[in-house]
Amino acid sequence: MTDHRRYFDEIELGEAYESPGRTVTEADVVMFAGLSGDYNVLHTDAEFMKHTIFGERIAHGLLCLAIQSGLFTRATAPYATLGFGGLRWKFKAPVKIGDTIRLRAKVVDKKDLDKPDRGLVTLDRTIVNQRDEVVQQGQTDLVVQKRP
Amino acid sequence: MTSATYFEDVVIDQLATTPAITVTAAHVELYQGLTREMSAGPGEIPDVLPLCMAIGLGWRVKEPPMAVQAFVALDWKVMKELRVGDTMHTSSRIVSKRPMRDGGLIVDERTILDQHGEVVQQGRFTFLVAKRQKEASA
Repeated sequence: MTDHRRYFDEIELGEAYESPGRTVTEADVVMFAGLSGDYNVLHTDAEFMKHTIFGERIAHGLLCLAIQSGLFTRATAPYATLGFGGLRWKFKAPVKIGDTIRLRAKVVDKKDLDKPDRGLVTLDRTIVNQRDEVVQQGQTDLVVQKRP
Repeated sequence: MTSATYFEDVVIDQLATTPAITVTAAHVELYQGLTREMSAGPGEIPDVLPLCMAIGLGWRVKEPPMAVQAFVALDWKVMKELRVGDTMHTSSRIVSKRPMRDGGLIVDERTILDQHGEVVQQGRFTFLVAKRQKEASA
């Protein structure tokens, strides 16, 4: 089988990607509540939320973070990722049911790790909505395999 | 009225431990269907999934839930891989609180541990939490 994955050596600083859009639906929010166990009223009580500044239920912040992780795999050829190192993240604006989000990502740092077969790739990531407003933003660190 | 822990009630260094949950192949499949994050191989768990489950476990403590108005920020590190069949729970410690005009910011250090008590993932959540007065007059 041909290996289309991109190794640490092939990923260049400054590479930038933009994903397709994805509409966040009520079904997404309900499924995520079930999967995560996060039934906070922000995401599940439509009547309560009518009387808040949001005016309606909002998507879980971590749902959109998880969705962008999937959008990344649709934005570029897959990395030879060995693991996820960590992230520094800000939730800047709510995502409401029916909003369409997309991911913009850029490689901002690459460094070797103690194990010689792998390196750390840091990406700046921004999630924008259909009005091009930034809803989430941060950096993620991916552990990526070097070409064997 | 539902009882809640408001900004004023949050105590620095307060500790909490949640019940545990076994991470199953069903969780992984649901997560992958929802997010289309397809990187996991057999028995592997996408690293963001335990983080998502950690936030749900956080509500399953005996204290009344924090009156969270918004999730503001997240700093997170993955130390160890979790695999299908492993059982995770979380512990939390309130690190700091800062009052704002409406509500206040709470920094909550969360740790995900596996069935051997080893740290799997760890980091800090920043929440905007409602003040009691505001809620009472709403």
